[in-house]
Amino acid sequence: MSVSMALMSSLSAPNLQCMSYQPHPQTFPKTHFSFPALTPKRAAFDGVCAPHAVADGGSPVAVEVKEEADKEGNGSPPVVAAVKEGGEGELVQVVKKFEDGRWVGGTWDLKQFKKDEKVDWDAVIDAEVRRRKWLEINPETSSNDDPVLFDTSIIPWWAWMKRFHLPEAELLNGRAAMVGFFMAYFVDSLTGVGLVDQMGNFFCKTLLFVAVAGVLLVRKNEDIETLKKLIDETNFYDKQWQATWQDETKKE
Amino acid sequence: MASQLLHHRILHRGTAPASAPIDRRNLRPPTTCAAAVTPSLHRKLRVAVIGGGPAGSSAAESLASGGVETFLFERNTSSAKPCGGAIPLCMIEEFDLPLSLVDRKVTEMTIVSPSNITVDFGKTLMPHEFIAMVRREVLDSYLRSRAQSAGADVKTALVTEIRTPSTTNAPYKVIYTEEGSRRELVVDVVVGSDGANSRVAKAIEAGEYSCAIAFQERIKLPDEKMEYYENLAEMYLGDDVSPDFYAWVFPKCDHVAVGTGTVCSKQNIKMYQRGIRDRVKHKINGGKVIKVEAHPIPEHPRPVRVRGRVALVGDAAGYVTKCAGEGIYFAAKSGRMCGEAIVKASEGGERMITEEDLRREYLRKWDAEYVTTYKVLKLLESVFYGSNVGREALVELCGDEYVQRMSLDSYMYKRLASGNRWEDLKMAARTVGSFWRTQIVGREMERLKL
Repeated sequence: MSVSMALMSSLSAPNLQCMSYQPHPQTFPKTHFSFPALTPKRAAFDGVCAPHAVADGGSPVAVEVKEEADKEGNGSPPVVAAVKEGGEGELVQVVKKFEDGRWVGGTWDLKQFKKDEKVDWDAVIDAEVRRRKWLEINPETSSNDDPVLFDTSIIPWWAWMKRFHLPEAELLNGRAAMVGFFMAYFVDSLTGVGLVDQMGNFFCKTLLFVAVAGVLLVRKNEDIETLKKLIDETNFYDKQWQATWQDETKKE
Repeated sequence: MASQLLHHRILHRGTAPASAPIDRRNLRPPTTCAAAVTPSLHRKLRVAVIGGGPAGSSAAESLASGGVETFLFERNTSSAKPCGGAIPLCMIEEFDLPLSLVDRKVTEMTIVSPSNITVDFGKTLMPHEFIAMVRREVLDSYLRSRAQSAGADVKTALVTEIRTPSTTNAPYKVIYTEEGSRRELVVDVVVGSDGANSRVAKAIEAGEYSCAIAFQERIKLPDEKMEYYENLAEMYLGDDVSPDFYAWVFPKCDHVAVGTGTVCSKQNIKMYQRGIRDRVKHKINGGKVIKVEAHPIPEHPRPVRVRGRVALVGDAAGYVTKCAGEGIYFAAKSGRMCGEAIVKASEGGERMITEEDLRREYLRKWDAEYVTTYKVLKLLESVFYGSNVGREALVELCGDEYVQRMSLDSYMYKRLASGNRWEDLKMAARTVGSFWRTQIVGREMERLKL
């Protein structure tokens, strides 16, 4: 819930208050969707919408989204989602299911993602990201009649590489090359040792190895944090197991 | 006599066959508190086992069959303890449990990711392999009656106090209420198997541990819905059902247990329970809640597990694994190990034992055998249950047969399954790949709305 609140406030729009339905145009650079306000009685047009008022005093959120029929690369408009209203006499609990024209029978229908006779894997990845984001905000009941059969392994490895790894690799290689050039120049100007002789030195070789390993393993600052947290937790757990032995050594 | 022992070992070191490892621990010179040989009692050693669950009953059985005078205290012999009720195959073998105790043999497990992607475990199970679901009251009373037949004196009583002695060799006093009257028992050794809120632990100032809370509702389903859960257990992952653990639907004898657990967010447990009820809404539609129960589950061992001649076993010691939350097998195993340790150290109840004996024969053996298991499971839990990224990666990985076989084997037999190196490497590569992909998806998800 706080994610949706945060997203609303972070946009350059007038501040949204809980439970109020205000129109506010927003544009997203990547997806080209615009999100005007939602009216409860939706006409039968495009719209995957998500008002999600919780009945019993959880933090109420008014997430108003409405997708316009956009002629995307895939060319298929999103589909109206079924809106059910719970008649419990409390706050209206609107239950939504994730629906998308290309999500057929619990998996993505690859035929609908064709671009020039080939499957547009980028669009498949985008669609799956959207689906998971949706379900994170509005968890759905798992059903035996309507199981999710999607298997991420149908997306080939090179699609991931091309889209996510290669641009990052290009960036990192570029940075490494620039830094490497200037470091070599700098060391040469200081010590007079040329590039070829620098490479022959053991210390330089070690530094190079460390630099390459570091760049490969640590991509972002968050990685270090996650790794550190994991190591801390494991160490702490280890200490808890050893605690009973500390008692013994203290006595001796 | 200790020096003769030492001499004997040193002499034989040179002539012992190369394959026999020398027990270096016993080569250490004895400590100053005269651990060498304790005087022989002119009576049997007296041990009180507080708590008659799987841990206590196994301890009492080992003690009684080893010739020690054993007293087993259980305050309530008929209560159904809140528990998942799943026991691994190795427990049935190791503890000679009759199959009549098993209500249900679960041969299929489904794991559901936050985005409802499901994976079915169980393709690799052999026909004779299953996860046994038992009713705790049935299992517990069976183990208690076995302890009784071995010679333990089972007392239906509530232990109210354990008085620790002021001098080293003075006995312990157990004060209890039996049939309304207050009684006392003087014993030499106390085994604390009284669960998460252990009174014995408090008596020896064993320290606190953090607990998770497990909450579950037992729901009686209509027959056609129950058919789906005939041999199937389900595990659900997601922030809506638990921030750091999983939610489950386990079939029991004639109903299902739907529950969830958490450590870091205990005040929201009701919200998570609603979450899991919503996730399985269609599958439990029309069911009636027959019982609601909750229980604390220890998250890690207590700072002190042995002090004086008191040893903690089972939940009282904190032997619940991470990741699976399994406690029954480890409780019974630790009870047995402690009982056997006392029997060995006292030479069949003939000698008094010391704290060092308990540490050497029970704690050290236990840690040597199981610490790695616990640590590995802790690592898996931190990595795979901590965030949606990890959970999706887990479900992706579990689709692979090799992973399924390895995890089921290690669960059922409590040993590191023997895979081949090549498959292990492939599994490692697949893990890295899955994580990379789910991390990318996670990053894209964050970018989408922001």
